[in-house]
Amino acid sequence: MTAEIFDRGYRRFEGERSGVPGAMRSLAWYTTKSMLGIGRRGRHKIFPVVVAVIAFLPTLIIFGVLALFGEGAEGLRPEYYEFLGPSETFGFLVFAHLLYATLVAPEALVRDRRDGMLSLYLSTPLTRPTYVMAKFASVAFTMAIVVIGPAMLLLAGYTIQGRGPDGFTGWVEVFAKILLGGLIIVFVYCGVSMGVSSLTDRRAFASIAVILTLLGLSIVANILVLEAGMNDRLLGLDPLGTPFEAATRLFGDRGIDARNLSTTYIMMVAGGWVSAGFGTLAVRYRRLGAI
Amino acid sequence: MQFGSQRALDSLDIEVPHGVTGLVGANGAGKTTLMSIALGLRTHSAGSIKVLGLDPHRDGARLRALVGYGPERNVLPEDMPASDFVKHFAEVRGMPRSEAKGRASDALWLVGLGEERFRALGTMSTGQRQRVKLAQAIAADPRLVLLDEPTDGLDPVQRDEMLLLIKQISAEYEIDVMLSSHLLEEVERVCDHIVALDAGTLVAQGELSALIGDTEMILVDLVEVDDQPDAIDGVERRLRAAGFDVRRDLNRISVTGADQRATLDAIRDSVAAEQARLRRIEVGRRTLEDLFTEVRR
Repeated sequence: MTAEIFDRGYRRFEGERSGVPGAMRSLAWYTTKSMLGIGRRGRHKIFPVVVAVIAFLPTLIIFGVLALFGEGAEGLRPEYYEFLGPSETFGFLVFAHLLYATLVAPEALVRDRRDGMLSLYLSTPLTRPTYVMAKFASVAFTMAIVVIGPAMLLLAGYTIQGRGPDGFTGWVEVFAKILLGGLIIVFVYCGVSMGVSSLTDRRAFASIAVILTLLGLSIVANILVLEAGMNDRLLGLDPLGTPFEAATRLFGDRGIDARNLSTTYIMMVAGGWVSAGFGTLAVRYRRLGAI
Repeated sequence: MQFGSQRALDSLDIEVPHGVTGLVGANGAGKTTLMSIALGLRTHSAGSIKVLGLDPHRDGARLRALVGYGPERNVLPEDMPASDFVKHFAEVRGMPRSEAKGRASDALWLVGLGEERFRALGTMSTGQRQRVKLAQAIAADPRLVLLDEPTDGLDPVQRDEMLLLIKQISAEYEIDVMLSSHLLEEVERVCDHIVALDAGTLVAQGELSALIGDTEMILVDLVEVDDQPDAIDGVERRLRAAGFDVRRDLNRISVTGADQRATLDAIRDSVAAEQARLRRIEVGRRTLEDLFTEVRR
């Protein structure tokens, strides 16, 4: 038996290069892994796991209770949209979104600037816009799992148990509403989180700034309207509740506090939050990263 | 190139041939700005630039797929293994995923980190990190590599190894290299060509051997002794009288003549006639430092 040393060595590459799409794909996948702590030390996995548990556990419990007690547990059956955000019954779900937007999502942008990776990325086929788009794709995809995932799981569970929407059209309609409502929430939270994170190189500062923007403004807006009796339109200043209200409207319902506001106004305000977040991100990254 | 009212680069007319080119100048001379423009990351306010036949501003993404870049900053993701880092950048620079892993491994072996490739970057020394930066710059088979201060923070032995690697990459794999440095001595050792900048303006460019090296000047170091107090003055006087261009700096006399052999003979005769004590005689050598000194005068 003879041993053979196989060493290809460094050599020229004659094949086809993957260009900008390949660069974006690679960056988005690397960012997703980094945010979820895949291939990193245990401490980087804590927040993603906590968020996933908070987001999915209620759905799994409801699903389990219905499976065990059948007709006797019908009273527990929530609406789909209640699993998308800060509803009255499942209000704690918003903590999953909040934790994700404040503790996980900022990692996508802040880490590259802190580690000097941004200038290295910009020395590749990536440009500032394509870099930001790849980052957004990664943050939006992972946030969609947390925001849309539980409601979709509920839909799947109901469908399997024979408690789902009536008929194929009805099922598709609910599916589309969950998807669209969830995407509104994802876009608003992503916009705010990425916009605010673009302002600092420190993850801790980014997390504090995001939580102040999302939760702080939400508290202020609710105090102004509900306690001080000011104009209901000021509820639009609440970046946490506004996208959920928009999702609720898609299902033909209205939140108690914002019941006097028109759906058009709610949608416009949600769009405003998205624009503000991504506008900040675009302005900030126009000036960053050159070597 | 301007930053507000500050002109960073002015009136540059540069042509860089194949091989290893040194971009030299003090900190703030405009080296990094020039690299940034060459990569299409900054826009020049006037003039034009072509890199590998492409306009960096218009064809930036296409150009950057063919260029590797090693940044000056030494901060890298601490918890990422070197192989993952190099593989990721090979992919971002256009390598298919199936190819990137193998190329990352090959590049790390080439820079001498084959056995260390699965170590986290945060556990590596400055020298190893510099090698990782070089590996990520070459993993995607670039036609040109831009290295910003590649020997920054290295000890003399590591610096020698890095310079050898750079030379090897250019000679064996025909990858053109442009490295920036403020250390003139290391540029003299490794580069075929230089572009010298000073405060944003071009000081010199061209083949290194034409810009530096042996000159017609002969340097004579004499010893001042009590029994012959006027000997050094006498040597100087005799050489001037013989028609040579003579410069005096304390006990050192620099003599320039048309024929080097005749100059050496005249020096020997003058020293013997004055009974001066000779410490050293050598052919003058022009260095990059001399080049900068002359320009500043």
